[in-house]
Amino acid sequence: MTDLTIAMPKGRIFEEAYEMLIQAGFDLPADVEISRKLMIEVPSEKIRFILAKPMDVPTYVEHGVADIGIAGKDVLLEQGRAVHELLDLKISKCYIASAGLPNTKLGDIAPRIATKYPTVASNYYREKGEQVEIIGLNGSIELAPMIGLADRIVDIVSTGQTLKENGLVEYEYITDVSSRLIANPVSYRMKNERIQDLVKRLKKCVK
Amino acid sequence: MSPIRKFEKPLGMRDTFPKIFEKKEVVRQAGRDFLRLRGFDFIKTPTLEYYDTVGKASAIVESSLFKLVDSQGNTLVLRPDMTTPIARVATSKLLKEKIPLRLAYFANVFRAQETEGGRPAEFEQMGVEIIGDSSVYADAEILLTAIELLKALGVTQFKITIGHAGILKAILTQNVRTKEQFRELHKLLVHKNIVGFEEAIKKFDLPESNKETLIAFIEEAAELKSIAQLDKYLVEKDAFKYMERLQRILTISEVEEYIDFEFTLASHMNYYTGMLFEVFAIGTGFPLGNGGRYDGLLDEFGAQVGAIGFGMRVDHLLEVMPAIHEETTDVLVLFAQDDFPTALAQAAVLRKEGKRTTLQSIEGLENKEAFEQLFSEVVCIGQGGIVHD
Repeated sequence: MTDLTIAMPKGRIFEEAYEMLIQAGFDLPADVEISRKLMIEVPSEKIRFILAKPMDVPTYVEHGVADIGIAGKDVLLEQGRAVHELLDLKISKCYIASAGLPNTKLGDIAPRIATKYPTVASNYYREKGEQVEIIGLNGSIELAPMIGLADRIVDIVSTGQTLKENGLVEYEYITDVSSRLIANPVSYRMKNERIQDLVKRLKKCVK
Repeated sequence: MSPIRKFEKPLGMRDTFPKIFEKKEVVRQAGRDFLRLRGFDFIKTPTLEYYDTVGKASAIVESSLFKLVDSQGNTLVLRPDMTTPIARVATSKLLKEKIPLRLAYFANVFRAQETEGGRPAEFEQMGVEIIGDSSVYADAEILLTAIELLKALGVTQFKITIGHAGILKAILTQNVRTKEQFRELHKLLVHKNIVGFEEAIKKFDLPESNKETLIAFIEEAAELKSIAQLDKYLVEKDAFKYMERLQRILTISEVEEYIDFEFTLASHMNYYTGMLFEVFAIGTGFPLGNGGRYDGLLDEFGAQVGAIGFGMRVDHLLEVMPAIHEETTDVLVLFAQDDFPTALAQAAVLRKEGKRTTLQSIEGLENKEAFEQLFSEVVCIGQGGIVHD
Protein backbone atom coordinates (compact mmCIF):
# COMPACT_ATOMS: atom_id res chain seq x y z
CA MET A 1 0.00 0.00 0.00
CA THR A 2 1.37 3.40 -0.94
CA ASP A 3 1.45 6.34 1.43
CA LEU A 4 -1.24 8.93 1.05
CA THR A 5 -0.99 12.56 2.10
CA ILE A 6 -4.33 14.27 2.62
CA ALA A 7 -4.64 18.04 2.95
CA MET A 8 -7.50 18.88 5.31
CA PRO A 9 -9.04 22.26 6.01
CA LYS A 10 -8.73 23.33 9.63
CA GLY A 11 -11.79 24.12 11.65
CA ARG A 12 -15.37 22.93 11.37
CA ILE A 13 -14.98 21.20 8.00
CA PHE A 14 -12.11 19.13 9.38
CA GLU A 15 -14.35 17.46 11.94
CA GLU A 16 -17.10 16.69 9.45
CA ALA A 17 -14.68 15.34 6.87
CA TYR A 18 -12.71 13.34 9.45
CA GLU A 19 -15.94 11.81 10.70
CA MET A 20 -16.78 10.79 7.12
CA LEU A 21 -13.44 9.04 6.75
CA ILE A 22 -14.11 7.08 9.95
CA GLN A 23 -17.55 6.14 8.63
CA ALA A 24 -15.91 5.00 5.42
CA GLY A 25 -14.06 2.44 7.47
CA PHE A 26 -10.66 4.07 7.87
CA ASP A 27 -8.95 3.11 11.09
CA LEU A 28 -8.34 6.57 12.48
CA PRO A 29 -7.98 7.64 16.12
CA ALA A 30 -11.37 8.85 17.34
CA ASP A 31 -10.00 11.81 19.22
CA VAL A 32 -7.41 13.93 17.55
CA GLU A 33 -5.81 16.90 19.14
CA ILE A 34 -5.64 19.37 16.29
CA SER A 35 -5.53 22.66 18.09
CA ARG A 36 -1.95 23.45 17.19
CA LYS A 37 -0.76 20.48 15.23
CA LEU A 38 -0.10 20.88 11.53
CA MET A 39 0.47 17.22 10.74
CA ILE A 40 -1.07 13.98 11.92
CA GLU A 41 0.43 10.60 11.03
CA VAL A 42 -1.75 7.50 11.00
CA PRO A 43 0.75 4.67 10.39
CA SER A 44 -1.89 1.89 10.52
CA GLU A 45 -3.57 3.33 7.41
CA LYS A 46 -0.41 4.80 5.90
CA ILE A 47 -2.13 8.16 5.85
CA ARG A 48 -0.69 11.52 6.74
CA PHE A 49 -2.97 14.49 7.27
CA ILE A 50 -1.72 18.00 6.81
CA LEU A 51 -3.86 20.72 8.29
CA ALA A 52 -4.11 23.86 6.24
CA LYS A 53 -6.21 26.96 6.00
CA PRO A 54 -9.24 26.08 3.84
CA MET A 55 -8.13 28.57 1.18
CA ASP A 56 -4.74 26.86 0.93
CA VAL A 57 -5.81 23.23 0.48
CA PRO A 58 -5.93 23.39 -3.36
CA THR A 59 -2.44 24.93 -3.38
CA TYR A 60 -0.90 21.99 -1.52
CA VAL A 61 -2.70 19.55 -3.79
CA GLU A 62 -1.83 21.36 -7.01
CA HIS A 63 1.87 21.28 -6.18
CA GLY A 64 1.64 17.61 -5.27
CA VAL A 65 2.87 17.93 -1.68
CA ALA A 66 -0.54 16.50 -0.78
CA ASP A 67 -2.00 13.73 -2.95
CA ILE A 68 -5.60 14.56 -2.22
CA GLY A 69 -7.46 17.15 -0.21
CA ILE A 70 -10.82 18.41 0.88
CA ALA A 71 -11.69 21.85 -0.37
CA GLY A 72 -14.75 24.05 -0.66
CA LYS A 73 -16.18 24.60 -4.13
CA ASP A 74 -15.97 28.36 -3.45
CA VAL A 75 -12.19 28.12 -3.15
CA LEU A 76 -11.93 25.90 -6.23
CA LEU A 77 -13.98 28.34 -8.31
CA GLU A 78 -12.03 31.31 -7.07
CA GLN A 79 -8.55 29.88 -7.62
CA GLY A 80 -9.09 27.67 -10.67
CA ARG A 81 -6.16 25.44 -9.81
CA ALA A 82 -5.06 22.40 -11.81
CA VAL A 83 -6.56 19.71 -9.56
CA HIS A 84 -9.02 16.92 -10.27
CA GLU A 85 -12.41 17.21 -8.60
CA LEU A 86 -13.43 13.67 -7.75
CA LEU A 87 -16.35 13.67 -5.35
CA ASP A 88 -18.91 16.02 -3.86
CA LEU A 89 -18.91 15.20 -0.15
CA LYS A 90 -22.04 17.32 0.34
CA ILE A 91 -20.81 18.64 3.65
CA SER A 92 -20.54 22.31 4.70
CA LYS A 93 -23.22 23.16 2.19
CA CYS A 94 -23.95 26.79 1.43
CA TYR A 95 -24.13 29.00 -1.64
CA ILE A 96 -22.65 32.13 -3.10
CA ALA A 97 -25.02 35.03 -3.59
CA SER A 98 -25.03 38.75 -4.08
CA ALA A 99 -26.58 40.96 -1.41
CA GLY A 100 -27.04 44.61 -0.62
CA LEU A 101 -29.21 47.16 1.14
CA PRO A 102 -32.95 46.58 0.58
CA ASN A 103 -34.66 48.28 -2.38
CA THR A 104 -31.48 49.40 -4.07
CA LYS A 105 -30.47 49.11 -7.70
CA LEU A 106 -27.00 48.67 -9.12
CA GLY A 107 -25.64 52.09 -10.07
CA ASP A 108 -25.33 52.76 -13.81
CA ILE A 109 -21.78 53.98 -13.72
CA ALA A 110 -19.21 51.49 -12.50
CA PRO A 111 -21.20 49.74 -9.78
CA ARG A 112 -18.95 48.48 -7.03
CA ILE A 113 -18.95 44.93 -5.70
CA ALA A 114 -17.14 44.05 -2.49
CA THR A 115 -16.12 40.43 -2.11
CA LYS A 116 -13.71 37.81 -0.85
CA TYR A 117 -14.17 36.10 -4.23
CA PRO A 118 -13.01 38.56 -6.91
CA THR A 119 -12.79 35.94 -9.66
CA VAL A 120 -16.20 34.40 -8.96
CA ALA A 121 -17.83 37.83 -8.73
CA SER A 122 -16.12 39.18 -11.82
CA ASN A 123 -17.05 36.08 -13.88
CA TYR A 124 -20.65 36.23 -12.71
CA TYR A 125 -21.22 39.86 -13.67
CA ARG A 126 -19.35 39.40 -16.92
CA GLU A 127 -21.65 36.51 -17.85
CA LYS A 128 -24.59 38.77 -17.09
CA GLY A 129 -23.15 41.44 -19.33
CA GLU A 130 -22.63 43.99 -16.60
CA GLN A 131 -19.38 45.82 -16.10
CA VAL A 132 -18.60 46.23 -12.44
CA GLU A 133 -15.66 47.24 -10.29
CA ILE A 134 -14.52 44.64 -7.82
CA ILE A 135 -13.27 45.62 -4.39
CA GLY A 136 -11.39 42.84 -2.64
CA LEU A 137 -11.97 42.40 1.10
CA ASN A 138 -10.89 39.68 3.51
CA GLY A 139 -13.79 39.52 5.95
CA SER A 140 -16.80 41.32 7.43
CA ILE A 141 -17.92 41.88 3.86
CA GLU A 142 -21.37 42.96 5.10
CA LEU A 143 -19.87 46.25 6.21
CA ALA A 144 -19.21 47.41 2.66
CA PRO A 145 -22.79 48.32 1.58
CA MET A 146 -23.65 49.54 5.08
CA ILE A 147 -21.03 52.25 5.03
CA GLY A 148 -21.18 53.01 1.34
CA LEU A 149 -18.06 51.25 0.08
CA ALA A 150 -19.98 49.10 -2.38
CA ASP A 151 -23.41 48.64 -3.97
CA ARG A 152 -23.41 44.89 -3.59
CA ILE A 153 -21.44 42.18 -1.92
CA VAL A 154 -20.75 38.70 -3.24
CA ASP A 155 -20.26 36.22 -0.44
CA ILE A 156 -21.18 32.79 0.84
CA VAL A 157 -24.54 32.46 2.55
CA SER A 158 -25.43 29.49 4.72
CA THR A 159 -28.45 30.54 6.79
CA GLY A 160 -28.78 34.17 5.84
CA GLN A 161 -28.65 35.15 9.48
CA THR A 162 -25.59 37.41 9.16
CA LEU A 163 -27.17 39.27 6.27
CA LYS A 164 -30.40 39.77 8.21
CA GLU A 165 -28.67 41.00 11.32
CA ASN A 166 -26.89 43.63 9.28
CA GLY A 167 -29.98 44.79 7.45
CA LEU A 168 -28.97 43.34 4.08
CA VAL A 169 -31.08 41.36 1.64
CA GLU A 170 -30.07 38.69 -0.81
CA TYR A 171 -30.41 39.66 -4.47
CA GLU A 172 -29.03 36.97 -6.78
CA TYR A 173 -28.16 33.36 -6.20
CA ILE A 174 -24.84 32.63 -7.92
CA THR A 175 -23.78 29.04 -7.27
CA ASP A 176 -23.94 26.17 -4.79
CA VAL A 177 -20.99 25.40 -2.56
CA SER A 178 -20.02 22.22 -0.73
CA SER A 179 -16.82 20.40 0.15
CA ARG A 180 -15.15 18.41 -2.61
CA LEU A 181 -12.57 15.69 -2.66
CA ILE A 182 -9.78 16.86 -4.93
CA ALA A 183 -6.67 15.10 -6.22
CA ASN A 184 -3.33 16.03 -7.68
CA PRO A 185 -3.19 14.92 -11.35
CA VAL A 186 0.04 12.96 -10.88
CA SER A 187 -1.09 11.28 -7.65
CA TYR A 188 -4.39 10.44 -9.32
CA ARG A 189 -2.47 8.35 -11.85
CA MET A 190 0.41 7.05 -9.78
CA LYS A 191 -1.73 6.16 -6.75
CA ASN A 192 -4.86 5.37 -8.73
CA GLU A 193 -5.85 2.24 -6.81
CA ARG A 194 -5.66 3.85 -3.39
CA ILE A 195 -7.46 6.96 -4.49
CA GLN A 196 -10.22 5.04 -6.30
CA ASP A 197 -10.69 2.87 -3.23
CA LEU A 198 -11.03 5.97 -1.07
CA VAL A 199 -13.47 7.59 -3.50
CA LYS A 200 -15.66 4.49 -3.57
CA ARG A 201 -15.74 4.15 0.20
CA LEU A 202 -16.47 7.83 0.73
CA LYS A 203 -19.15 7.82 -1.95
CA LYS A 204 -21.17 5.37 0.14
CA CYS A 205 -21.09 7.80 3.07
CA VAL A 206 -22.24 10.83 1.12
CA LYS A 207 -25.72 11.80 2.26
CA MET B 1 2.95 48.60 -9.41
CA SER B 2 6.09 49.27 -7.45
CA PRO B 3 9.18 50.31 -9.43
CA ILE B 4 11.30 47.47 -10.76
CA ARG B 5 14.32 46.71 -8.62
CA LYS B 6 17.73 45.94 -10.12
CA PHE B 7 17.67 42.22 -9.32
CA GLU B 8 14.18 41.52 -10.66
CA LYS B 9 13.28 39.50 -13.73
CA PRO B 10 9.99 39.43 -15.64
CA LEU B 11 7.41 37.13 -14.04
CA GLY B 12 8.17 33.48 -14.64
CA MET B 13 11.67 34.03 -16.04
CA ARG B 14 14.43 32.08 -14.34
CA ASP B 15 18.20 32.09 -14.25
CA THR B 16 19.93 28.79 -14.78
CA PHE B 17 22.80 28.56 -12.32
CA PRO B 18 25.86 26.40 -13.02
CA LYS B 19 24.64 23.36 -11.03
CA ILE B 20 21.26 23.22 -12.79
CA PHE B 21 22.92 23.99 -16.10
CA GLU B 22 25.11 20.91 -15.73
CA LYS B 23 22.14 18.75 -14.79
CA LYS B 24 20.19 19.91 -17.83
CA GLU B 25 23.25 19.25 -19.93
CA VAL B 26 23.28 15.63 -18.72
CA VAL B 27 19.61 15.26 -19.73
CA ARG B 28 20.24 16.92 -23.07
CA GLN B 29 23.27 14.74 -23.81
CA ALA B 30 21.62 11.50 -22.71
CA GLY B 31 18.43 12.37 -24.57
CA ARG B 32 20.31 13.29 -27.70
CA ASP B 33 22.40 10.11 -27.74
CA PHE B 34 19.29 8.03 -27.12
CA LEU B 35 17.13 9.67 -29.78
CA ARG B 36 19.86 9.76 -32.44
CA LEU B 37 20.37 6.06 -31.91
CA ARG B 38 16.63 5.56 -32.51
CA GLY B 39 16.82 7.28 -35.86
CA PHE B 40 15.56 10.74 -34.93
CA ASP B 41 17.16 13.85 -36.44
CA PHE B 42 17.53 16.93 -34.27
CA ILE B 43 16.39 20.29 -35.51
CA LYS B 44 16.16 23.85 -34.26
CA THR B 45 13.65 26.52 -35.23
CA PRO B 46 13.65 30.28 -34.61
CA THR B 47 12.63 31.74 -31.26
CA LEU B 48 10.39 34.27 -33.00
CA GLU B 49 7.58 33.30 -35.36
CA TYR B 50 4.71 35.17 -36.97
CA TYR B 51 1.55 35.38 -34.93
CA ASP B 52 -0.49 34.68 -38.07
CA THR B 53 1.22 31.36 -38.75
CA VAL B 54 2.60 29.60 -35.69
CA GLY B 55 0.87 31.80 -33.13
CA LYS B 56 -2.61 31.11 -34.50
CA ALA B 57 -2.06 27.43 -35.30
CA SER B 58 -0.61 26.67 -31.88
CA ALA B 59 -2.97 25.17 -29.33
CA ILE B 60 -1.69 27.45 -26.60
CA VAL B 61 -4.32 29.99 -25.56
CA GLU B 62 -3.81 33.46 -26.87
CA SER B 63 -3.47 35.04 -23.44
CA SER B 64 -0.38 32.90 -22.85
CA LEU B 65 1.46 34.14 -25.94
CA PHE B 66 4.30 36.63 -25.65
CA LYS B 67 3.72 39.05 -28.50
CA LEU B 68 5.83 41.75 -30.02
CA VAL B 69 5.81 43.81 -33.19
CA ASP B 70 8.56 43.87 -35.83
CA SER B 71 9.70 46.94 -37.74
CA GLN B 72 7.13 46.30 -40.48
CA GLY B 73 4.29 46.16 -38.03
CA ASN B 74 3.81 42.38 -38.14
CA THR B 75 2.88 40.71 -34.87
CA LEU B 76 5.44 38.16 -33.73
CA VAL B 77 5.27 35.58 -30.98
CA LEU B 78 7.93 33.88 -28.90
CA ARG B 79 7.35 30.24 -29.83
CA PRO B 80 4.85 28.81 -27.34
CA ASP B 81 5.50 25.19 -28.35
CA MET B 82 7.75 23.24 -30.70
CA THR B 83 5.19 21.07 -32.44
CA THR B 84 3.71 23.96 -34.43
CA PRO B 85 7.03 25.34 -35.79
CA ILE B 86 8.04 21.78 -36.68
CA ALA B 87 4.75 21.30 -38.52
CA ARG B 88 5.52 24.52 -40.40
CA VAL B 89 9.03 23.53 -41.42
CA ALA B 90 8.05 19.95 -42.22
CA THR B 91 5.21 20.88 -44.53
CA SER B 92 7.10 23.65 -46.30
CA LYS B 93 10.38 21.82 -46.79
CA LEU B 94 11.45 18.66 -45.00
CA LEU B 95 8.62 16.39 -46.14
CA LYS B 96 9.79 16.84 -49.72
CA GLU B 97 13.10 15.25 -48.80
CA LYS B 98 12.07 12.36 -46.56
CA ILE B 99 8.79 10.83 -45.58
CA PRO B 100 8.06 9.79 -42.89
CA LEU B 101 10.20 12.23 -40.94
CA ARG B 102 11.53 11.48 -37.48
CA LEU B 103 12.44 14.75 -35.83
CA ALA B 104 13.62 15.59 -32.32
CA TYR B 105 14.24 18.80 -30.44
CA PHE B 106 15.54 20.19 -27.18
CA ALA B 107 14.37 23.76 -26.97
CA ASN B 108 12.98 26.45 -24.73
CA VAL B 109 9.39 27.55 -25.22
CA PHE B 110 7.58 30.58 -23.83
CA ARG B 111 4.20 30.83 -22.17
CA ALA B 112 3.21 34.00 -20.39
CA GLN B 113 1.45 33.68 -17.07
CA GLU B 114 -0.05 36.15 -14.71
CA THR B 115 -0.34 34.12 -11.57
CA GLU B 116 1.97 33.25 -8.73
CA GLY B 117 5.32 31.50 -8.67
CA GLY B 118 6.09 27.86 -9.25
CA ARG B 119 5.42 28.09 -12.97
CA PRO B 120 8.14 29.24 -15.29
CA ALA B 121 7.17 31.30 -18.33
CA GLU B 122 10.17 29.98 -20.25
CA PHE B 123 11.05 26.32 -20.02
CA GLU B 124 12.92 23.63 -21.89
CA GLN B 125 11.15 20.85 -23.67
CA MET B 126 12.54 17.68 -25.13
CA GLY B 127 10.40 15.97 -27.68
CA VAL B 128 9.99 14.07 -30.91
CA GLU B 129 7.61 14.08 -33.86
CA ILE B 130 6.96 11.46 -36.54
CA ILE B 131 5.42 13.17 -39.55
CA GLY B 132 4.01 11.45 -42.61
CA ASP B 133 3.04 8.13 -41.05
CA SER B 134 -0.61 7.39 -40.22
CA SER B 135 -0.12 3.78 -39.21
CA VAL B 136 -0.67 2.46 -35.72
CA TYR B 137 3.03 1.57 -35.61
CA ALA B 138 3.88 5.27 -35.53
CA ASP B 139 1.68 5.61 -32.42
CA ALA B 140 3.48 2.65 -30.89
CA GLU B 141 6.91 4.00 -31.80
CA ILE B 142 6.12 7.33 -30.11
CA LEU B 143 4.93 5.60 -26.94
CA LEU B 144 7.88 3.22 -26.90
CA THR B 145 10.28 6.10 -27.47
CA ALA B 146 8.79 7.96 -24.49
CA ILE B 147 9.04 4.88 -22.29
CA GLU B 148 12.56 3.96 -23.33
CA LEU B 149 13.72 7.57 -23.04
CA LEU B 150 12.51 7.76 -19.45
CA LYS B 151 14.23 4.48 -18.67
CA ALA B 152 17.43 5.71 -20.31
CA LEU B 153 17.29 8.77 -18.04
CA GLY B 154 17.01 6.52 -15.00
CA VAL B 155 13.35 7.24 -14.22
CA THR B 156 11.72 4.09 -12.90
CA GLN B 157 8.34 4.95 -11.39
CA PHE B 158 6.28 6.41 -14.18
CA LYS B 159 2.97 5.85 -15.92
CA ILE B 160 1.70 6.72 -19.35
CA THR B 161 -2.04 7.29 -19.54
CA ILE B 162 -3.44 6.73 -23.01
CA GLY B 163 -6.75 7.93 -24.40
CA HIS B 164 -8.23 8.68 -27.79
CA ALA B 165 -9.67 12.06 -28.79
CA GLY B 166 -11.91 10.51 -31.46
CA ILE B 167 -13.37 7.83 -29.20
CA LEU B 168 -14.16 10.31 -26.47
CA LYS B 169 -15.75 12.65 -28.97
CA ALA B 170 -17.86 9.84 -30.43
CA ILE B 171 -19.12 8.65 -27.04
CA LEU B 172 -19.98 12.16 -25.90
CA THR B 173 -21.68 13.27 -29.12
CA GLN B 174 -23.74 10.07 -29.34
CA ASN B 175 -25.24 10.89 -25.97
CA VAL B 176 -25.80 14.63 -26.04
CA ARG B 177 -28.07 16.82 -28.13
CA THR B 178 -26.13 19.98 -28.81
CA LYS B 179 -22.60 21.15 -29.57
CA GLU B 180 -22.72 23.31 -26.41
CA GLN B 181 -23.41 20.27 -24.26
CA PHE B 182 -20.51 18.45 -25.89
CA ARG B 183 -18.19 21.40 -25.33
CA GLU B 184 -19.20 21.75 -21.72
CA LEU B 185 -18.64 18.06 -20.97
CA HIS B 186 -15.36 18.02 -22.85
CA LYS B 187 -14.08 21.02 -20.95
CA LEU B 188 -15.01 19.41 -17.64
CA LEU B 189 -13.04 16.32 -18.62
CA VAL B 190 -9.99 18.38 -19.59
CA HIS B 191 -9.93 19.48 -15.94
CA LYS B 192 -11.02 16.02 -14.75
CA ASN B 193 -13.88 17.60 -12.89
CA ILE B 194 -15.88 14.43 -12.26
CA VAL B 195 -18.28 16.19 -9.90
CA GLY B 196 -18.97 18.88 -12.48
CA PHE B 197 -19.42 16.26 -15.21
CA GLU B 198 -22.05 14.39 -13.25
CA GLU B 199 -23.82 17.61 -12.27
CA ALA B 200 -23.86 18.83 -15.87
CA ILE B 201 -25.41 15.58 -17.08
CA LYS B 202 -28.13 15.80 -14.45
CA LYS B 203 -28.86 19.37 -15.52
CA PHE B 204 -29.00 18.63 -19.28
CA ASP B 205 -32.29 17.96 -21.00
CA LEU B 206 -31.48 14.43 -22.17
CA PRO B 207 -33.23 11.07 -22.25
CA GLU B 208 -32.53 9.02 -19.10
CA SER B 209 -30.84 6.31 -21.14
CA ASN B 210 -28.21 8.77 -22.42
CA LYS B 211 -27.61 10.12 -18.95
CA GLU B 212 -27.12 6.61 -17.60
CA THR B 213 -24.74 5.74 -20.42
CA LEU B 214 -22.57 8.77 -19.77
CA ILE B 215 -22.41 8.17 -16.02
CA ALA B 216 -21.63 4.49 -16.56
CA PHE B 217 -18.94 5.41 -19.06
CA ILE B 218 -17.16 7.80 -16.72
CA GLU B 219 -17.29 5.36 -13.84
CA GLU B 220 -16.07 2.45 -15.91
CA ALA B 221 -13.33 4.52 -17.53
CA ALA B 222 -11.82 5.41 -14.15
CA GLU B 223 -10.87 1.80 -13.56
CA LEU B 224 -10.72 0.23 -16.97
CA LYS B 225 -9.66 -3.42 -16.84
CA SER B 226 -9.70 -3.99 -20.57
CA ILE B 227 -10.28 -1.95 -23.70
CA ALA B 228 -13.03 -4.41 -24.64
CA GLN B 229 -15.29 -2.79 -22.03
CA LEU B 230 -15.49 0.20 -24.34
CA ASP B 231 -17.03 -1.70 -27.22
CA LYS B 232 -20.60 -1.27 -25.99
CA TYR B 233 -20.38 2.54 -25.97
CA LEU B 234 -19.41 2.80 -29.61
CA VAL B 235 -21.40 2.59 -32.80
CA GLU B 236 -18.55 3.31 -35.17
CA LYS B 237 -15.78 0.84 -34.34
CA ASP B 238 -12.79 1.96 -36.43
CA ALA B 239 -11.04 3.93 -33.70
CA PHE B 240 -11.80 1.19 -31.21
CA LYS B 241 -10.18 -1.43 -33.43
CA TYR B 242 -7.21 0.89 -33.88
CA MET B 243 -6.72 1.08 -30.13
CA GLU B 244 -7.03 -2.69 -29.82
CA ARG B 245 -4.25 -3.06 -32.36
CA LEU B 246 -2.17 -0.52 -30.48
CA GLN B 247 -2.67 -2.44 -27.27
CA ARG B 248 -1.56 -5.69 -28.94
CA ILE B 249 1.59 -4.01 -30.26
CA LEU B 250 2.36 -2.60 -26.81
CA THR B 251 1.85 -6.04 -25.26
CA ILE B 252 4.31 -7.56 -27.73
CA SER B 253 6.73 -4.77 -26.82
CA GLU B 254 6.44 -5.73 -23.12
CA VAL B 255 5.67 -2.27 -21.80
CA GLU B 256 2.26 -2.99 -20.25
CA GLU B 257 3.43 -2.19 -16.73
CA TYR B 258 3.97 1.44 -17.72
CA ILE B 259 0.65 1.90 -19.43
CA ASP B 260 -2.94 2.71 -18.46
CA PHE B 261 -5.79 3.21 -20.88
CA GLU B 262 -8.11 6.02 -19.81
CA PHE B 263 -10.69 7.07 -22.33
CA THR B 264 -11.92 10.13 -20.49
CA LEU B 265 -8.50 11.69 -21.07
CA ALA B 266 -9.12 14.99 -22.81
CA SER B 267 -6.70 17.71 -23.81
CA HIS B 268 -7.07 21.45 -24.17
CA MET B 269 -4.77 21.03 -27.18
CA ASN B 270 -7.54 20.98 -29.74
CA TYR B 271 -5.34 19.74 -32.59
CA TYR B 272 -5.19 16.21 -31.20
CA THR B 273 -7.33 14.02 -33.40
CA GLY B 274 -6.50 10.44 -32.46
CA MET B 275 -4.55 8.69 -29.73
CA LEU B 276 -3.31 11.03 -27.02
CA PHE B 277 -1.40 10.48 -23.79
CA GLU B 278 0.04 12.05 -20.67
CA VAL B 279 3.17 11.09 -18.78
CA PHE B 280 3.34 11.05 -14.99
CA ALA B 281 6.10 10.11 -12.57
CA ILE B 282 6.64 9.90 -8.83
CA GLY B 283 8.66 12.87 -7.64
CA THR B 284 6.85 15.80 -9.17
CA GLY B 285 3.34 17.14 -8.71
CA PHE B 286 3.03 18.10 -12.36
CA PRO B 287 2.73 15.93 -15.48
CA LEU B 288 6.09 15.25 -17.12
CA GLY B 289 4.76 15.68 -20.58
CA ASN B 290 2.13 14.75 -23.09
CA GLY B 291 1.68 13.81 -26.67
CA GLY B 292 -0.61 12.42 -29.31
CA ARG B 293 -1.69 12.31 -32.90
CA TYR B 294 -2.32 15.72 -34.44
CA ASP B 295 -3.07 15.17 -38.13
CA GLY B 296 -5.29 18.27 -38.01
CA LEU B 297 -2.38 20.62 -37.37
CA LEU B 298 -0.57 19.50 -40.51
CA ASP B 299 -3.77 20.09 -42.41
CA GLU B 300 -3.66 23.70 -41.27
CA PHE B 301 -0.26 24.06 -42.94
CA GLY B 302 -1.61 22.47 -46.10
CA ALA B 303 -0.40 18.88 -45.88
CA GLN B 304 -2.71 15.88 -45.55
CA VAL B 305 -0.36 13.55 -43.72
CA GLY B 306 -0.39 11.85 -40.34
CA ALA B 307 1.68 13.28 -37.53
CA ILE B 308 2.31 12.25 -33.97
CA GLY B 309 4.71 13.28 -31.23
CA PHE B 310 5.35 14.11 -27.60
CA GLY B 311 7.07 16.76 -25.54
CA MET B 312 8.50 16.47 -22.05
CA ARG B 313 9.29 19.19 -19.55
CA VAL B 314 12.99 19.19 -18.74
CA ASP B 315 12.47 20.97 -15.40
CA HIS B 316 10.06 18.28 -14.19
CA LEU B 317 12.32 15.54 -15.58
CA LEU B 318 15.12 16.85 -13.35
CA GLU B 319 12.84 16.47 -10.33
CA VAL B 320 12.15 12.80 -11.00
CA MET B 321 15.56 11.69 -12.21
CA PRO B 322 17.88 9.97 -9.75
CA ALA B 323 20.52 12.31 -8.33
CA ILE B 324 23.68 12.36 -10.38
CA HIS B 325 26.80 11.88 -8.27
CA GLU B 326 29.70 13.03 -10.23
CA GLU B 327 33.03 12.97 -8.46
CA THR B 328 34.89 15.65 -10.31
CA THR B 329 38.23 16.95 -9.23
CA ASP B 330 38.31 20.68 -9.25
CA VAL B 331 41.89 21.97 -9.12
CA LEU B 332 42.91 25.53 -8.33
CA VAL B 333 46.35 26.68 -9.48
CA LEU B 334 47.35 29.81 -7.60
CA PHE B 335 50.36 31.81 -8.60
CA ALA B 336 52.30 34.90 -7.64
CA GLN B 337 53.10 37.22 -10.53
CA ASP B 338 56.72 36.09 -11.12
CA ASP B 339 55.69 32.47 -11.41
CA PHE B 340 53.17 32.86 -14.19
CA PRO B 341 55.15 30.75 -16.73
CA THR B 342 55.46 27.85 -14.25
CA ALA B 343 51.75 28.11 -13.41
CA LEU B 344 50.79 28.13 -17.08
CA ALA B 345 52.79 24.96 -17.71
CA GLN B 346 51.41 23.30 -14.58
CA ALA B 347 47.80 24.08 -15.56
CA ALA B 348 48.39 22.66 -19.03
CA VAL B 349 49.67 19.40 -17.53
CA LEU B 350 46.67 19.11 -15.22
CA ARG B 351 44.16 19.85 -17.98
CA LYS B 352 45.81 17.25 -20.19
CA GLU B 353 45.16 14.75 -17.41
CA GLY B 354 41.52 15.64 -17.77
CA LYS B 355 41.32 17.58 -14.51
CA ARG B 356 39.18 20.69 -14.40
CA THR B 357 41.75 23.38 -13.62
CA THR B 358 41.24 27.00 -12.66
CA LEU B 359 44.23 29.30 -13.10
CA GLN B 360 44.10 32.23 -10.70
CA SER B 361 46.60 34.90 -9.68
CA ILE B 362 46.92 35.52 -5.95
CA GLU B 363 47.00 39.20 -6.76
CA GLY B 364 43.45 39.05 -8.07
CA LEU B 365 42.00 37.52 -4.92
CA GLU B 366 40.50 39.48 -2.07
CA ASN B 367 39.89 36.53 0.20
CA LYS B 368 42.30 33.72 -0.65
CA GLU B 369 41.07 31.29 2.06
CA ALA B 370 37.42 31.58 1.08
CA PHE B 371 38.20 31.04 -2.58
CA GLU B 372 40.41 27.99 -1.89
CA GLN B 373 37.50 26.39 0.01
CA LEU B 374 35.58 26.04 -3.25
CA PHE B 375 38.06 23.60 -4.78
CA SER B 376 38.89 19.98 -4.12
CA GLU B 377 42.61 20.51 -4.71
CA VAL B 378 44.81 23.60 -4.48
CA VAL B 379 48.22 23.95 -6.08
CA CYS B 380 50.16 26.99 -4.91
CA ILE B 381 53.01 28.14 -7.09
CA GLY B 382 55.18 30.64 -5.31
CA GLN B 383 58.81 31.47 -4.67
CA GLY B 384 59.32 28.20 -2.85
CA GLY B 385 58.23 26.13 -5.85
CA ILE B 386 55.04 24.08 -6.15
CA VAL B 387 53.06 23.37 -2.98
CA HIS B 388 50.07 21.01 -2.98
CA ASP B 389 47.44 21.46 -0.28
